[in-house]
Amino acid sequence: MQRIGVFLCSGCGIGEALDVAALEKAAREEKAAHRAVHPCLCSPEGVATIRAAIDDGSVDGVLIAACSPRAKVEEFTFDPLKVAVERVPLREQAVWCQPPNHEDTQLLADDLLRMGIAKLAKMSLPVPFSAEISDTVLVVGGGVAGLEAARAAAAAGHPVVLVEASATLGGRMAGLTHLLPEGPPYDVLHPNRIAELLAKIQSDDRVTVYTSAKIQHIAGQPGQFAVTISTPQGERSFVAGAIVQATGARPYDASKLPHLGYGSSPNVITSAQLDEMLARGSLQRPGDGALPRRILFVQCAGSRDPQHLPYCSAECCGTTLRQVATIHQRHPDIETAVVYRDMRTPGQLERFYLAVQSQPNTLLTRGEVERVNGNGRGPLHVHLRESLLGNDVTLEADLVVLAVGMVPNAADGEAVRALHDAKVRAEKGDSETQRRDAAALAEQLAHHEGTEILHLEYRQGPDMPVLKYGFPDSHFICFPYETRRTGIYAAGTVRAPMDPPQAAEDGWGAAMKAIQCIEAAKRGAAVHPRAGDLGMPDFFLQRCTQCKRCTEECPFGTLNEDVKGTPQLNPLRCRRCGICMGACPERIISFPDYGVDRISAMIKAMSVPEEFEEKPRIVALMCENDALPALDQAAAQRQQWSPWIRVIPLRCLGSMNIVWIADALSRGIDGLLLVGCKSGDDYQCHYVRGSQLAQTRLGNVQETLTRLALEPARIKVVELSHHEFSRIPEIFNEFSAEIEGLGANPMKGF
Amino acid sequence: MAAIPALLPSTAFRDELRRRGGESAARCYQCATCSSVCELAPAARPFPRKQMLLAQWGMADQLAADPAVWLCHQCNDCTVRCPRDARPGDVLGAVRSLAIEKLAFPGFLGRLVGAARLTWPLLLALPVLFWVALLGLAGRLTPPAGLEAGWAYDALVPHSFIYGVFFPVAGWVILASWVAGRRFWTALGASGPRSGSFLANLMPALVEVATHKRFGSCGAARPRKLGHLTLLWGFVGAAVTSGLLIVGMYIQHLPMPLALDHPYKILGNVSAGLLIVGAAILVGNRLGDRKAAGASSAFDTFFLSVVVLVIATGMVVELARLAHAPAFALSSYILHLGFVMSLFLTFPYSKFAHMLYRTLAMVHARMAGLEKK
Repeated sequence: MQRIGVFLCSGCGIGEALDVAALEKAAREEKAAHRAVHPCLCSPEGVATIRAAIDDGSVDGVLIAACSPRAKVEEFTFDPLKVAVERVPLREQAVWCQPPNHEDTQLLADDLLRMGIAKLAKMSLPVPFSAEISDTVLVVGGGVAGLEAARAAAAAGHPVVLVEASATLGGRMAGLTHLLPEGPPYDVLHPNRIAELLAKIQSDDRVTVYTSAKIQHIAGQPGQFAVTISTPQGERSFVAGAIVQATGARPYDASKLPHLGYGSSPNVITSAQLDEMLARGSLQRPGDGALPRRILFVQCAGSRDPQHLPYCSAECCGTTLRQVATIHQRHPDIETAVVYRDMRTPGQLERFYLAVQSQPNTLLTRGEVERVNGNGRGPLHVHLRESLLGNDVTLEADLVVLAVGMVPNAADGEAVRALHDAKVRAEKGDSETQRRDAAALAEQLAHHEGTEILHLEYRQGPDMPVLKYGFPDSHFICFPYETRRTGIYAAGTVRAPMDPPQAAEDGWGAAMKAIQCIEAAKRGAAVHPRAGDLGMPDFFLQRCTQCKRCTEECPFGTLNEDVKGTPQLNPLRCRRCGICMGACPERIISFPDYGVDRISAMIKAMSVPEEFEEKPRIVALMCENDALPALDQAAAQRQQWSPWIRVIPLRCLGSMNIVWIADALSRGIDGLLLVGCKSGDDYQCHYVRGSQLAQTRLGNVQETLTRLALEPARIKVVELSHHEFSRIPEIFNEFSAEIEGLGANPMKGF
Repeated sequence: MAAIPALLPSTAFRDELRRRGGESAARCYQCATCSSVCELAPAARPFPRKQMLLAQWGMADQLAADPAVWLCHQCNDCTVRCPRDARPGDVLGAVRSLAIEKLAFPGFLGRLVGAARLTWPLLLALPVLFWVALLGLAGRLTPPAGLEAGWAYDALVPHSFIYGVFFPVAGWVILASWVAGRRFWTALGASGPRSGSFLANLMPALVEVATHKRFGSCGAARPRKLGHLTLLWGFVGAAVTSGLLIVGMYIQHLPMPLALDHPYKILGNVSAGLLIVGAAILVGNRLGDRKAAGASSAFDTFFLSVVVLVIATGMVVELARLAHAPAFALSSYILHLGFVMSLFLTFPYSKFAHMLYRTLAMVHARMAGLEKK
């Protein structure tokens, strides 16, 4: 920005702890065009002084040296297309955490101010975005989640295309006569009203339904997905703004459970088979067609078992209770027993559990079913290990129902891509070894062949990335409907195991996210977590070396590649994390308000004492999602820490470019602290793998450091959760002490 | 391998339990809140969680031989705290009534009294009709003419009739109780080793019964303890009075009826007073907080009703004599004798039998080291 206005606040104790006049003088030295000190900058009068300076055109960049950017957000928000804003948190990072009126505190504040001005000077304004955006929501899957998503989107006025692979709508719920209680007193079965929902969908002229249809191809980006589907009437093409994937789940394959008698006796069936029977209205033993007298349900059949499904499918307990109640309603004389490991009946379902337990002729008991013996003739013997009676027990039944868990109908997009790549390498690999290894990998991944559902034209694979259990990665810990493919939202049992009411709610949730995404696309704005950010990434492609790091590392599949490997930007897929910017060795990627040179400028703007004088300088690159809020919280509690730390906020630790490390060390900075989010299976990174990527990049740097005779210990990565704010002083002080122990950066002064 | 038959739990047992007010056992999900709050359960062998499970599974044999079923005093601390309203106190009450029936000698009488819900008119009326028939045959259905004030009941129903009926009745009750008690004692013995002599352990058990020390640690059922103790001592007093009267009549040759200020008479009337107060507390308690008091099954109600009828008719009998109303006195007396006989005859089969089984269970608990520390 050309004309920078520096607005200093002396309220909240800033004026008492710092020499604000000296700071104003520093701003003058940094050539700020406009400077003002206000005793309460967030008051209407204070904000008015900023607005006046913007309105009369005397400033195009506003630096607010007051509190954290997380405070007073509404007051300090101005038209992003007209003015760039930078917030310097004097209050949190100097006043609250350092002794007042101390030379080092003043020095820290001075540095923070100069760093802010340096960054602001390098910022530019976002370019207004406009493109044709489709309002249509594509819903893939016509089960309860998909139907509810379609209903929700249509109710909000959006055109909906519903694509269902089978010939009828309704999914697994369609055949059920009754459902678990949906309202008080939660102790009786409710009639299945899916027919009403189907009628509503079919009579809604905003919803176009295609049954026996499949996705053939999806290209493009949110707001502009070009979709091709195949239907019995031929191919159809249309543009969709956002996609809800509600492809549901299928029962676990019971033939993998021979110890439970499946396959060896026709009278051992799955809960899905029992539902089919109940839907036909003919409850019978498959062995001889007679009405069973004693039915035994085995819960967790193959679930919560590392050999089969390691997870709990969440709805089998409810399904069994529903089936037991249905059977009792129709045939009160049939005895039913349920053997469970533990009944999981969250919420009001507990009341229904109690009601079923109280039914005559029903027994629910804890136990581990070790095996089921029997053939088509005579009774089945169910052997329980660890019954509550304290010994092994054998129960007799003439029909055994296995409550099997659910497996998501999802494809592992990244694995499909890896399979494709391996096959190409196996054929055209550079060396014999490479071709052999690739062939082995292709063999390993062969079961992913032809599993595609969405057929996305994404460089990172044709479907969403999945979690370790095969569910699409759709939970940014706290943001259940978010996914790693912007504009595509998983809902229902494909997202996580759940029961029909949850799936219905999920459908609505995903539809709301889809609409949100379409609305954001219309403004060219980012969705979660930098919701509303208008700055688009800019690629200076003339200098691209086609190294493909950006296209590989983007957690959201934003970038496709042309044949040469040059990144092709799909800006509406972008979440503005800057991971590509951190990855790029040529430093050709930037955002209007975030870029490699901006951060480098900040590093260069801070004072570095020529001599060590026991006053080391440490740069802390901190993630703005978890680490910075934690720091604000620690400061709000007036925790105190080392005065040598200069904090630079990053959008994600994954956006850290190695050049900053080089810049800092060559300037004589004595240590670098990188604070990011938790990585691993239970990652908390808002951008999925920022900390992980930072670690990898750093691994490469450490070798270089050693070669330059610099101690690797001068750089440290810390993973911090938001709630661990009390660790901040300890982290800062320990690292300070370590750096003091190491002594001055030998490059100082060069 | 399988300690129980390869069957789902017996439906018959569960139906039986339901009929006796123990259907709430089905609601139990084995959290063991009951066992942890029970003040009476020994730490080494806590109850009633396990008994709830046995009841769910319909394991009648195990329950009939389980001392815990009888160590339970139905304080209902468990019932009040059960998160699932499975009412372990009531379930154990139902289980006890089933155990009484199962152990009964002869079995058919056990089943007859066990079905008190249906058979109570028979159980009350038959003894009364017996007395009507006996006195009718003896031509004594009307009071003798010309009774002078100060008559004794001997003039209406000679003592020989009383002895002739009640000594055999008592003999029979002792025999039936002995057989059933032995069955129970043997079954208890199978549940674990015992040491020490029966008699040596009987005394402290009786002291405990006399003081209701165990009952005293109950929380929810504290009001019932007072009623139960009062009633117990009322019965003891009445029994002692009966013994003293035999001594008075045949050894001391005291003139009957005794004056109201005679020590025996005072003891008798004080006992009657205790019985009235005790029964009133128990009845009042049942009409109060249903959860803390426990459910009232027909089996329970039958026993309590007979007790109340015996006390009420006994009171009326004394007042009728004092009021010099011989005809009314005779009819009241017939009812009284009938109800007392019903109480005696049903002793081994009604809830009254808890006196026998609980005492035995307490002796067993001492001998098997199941005392609460």
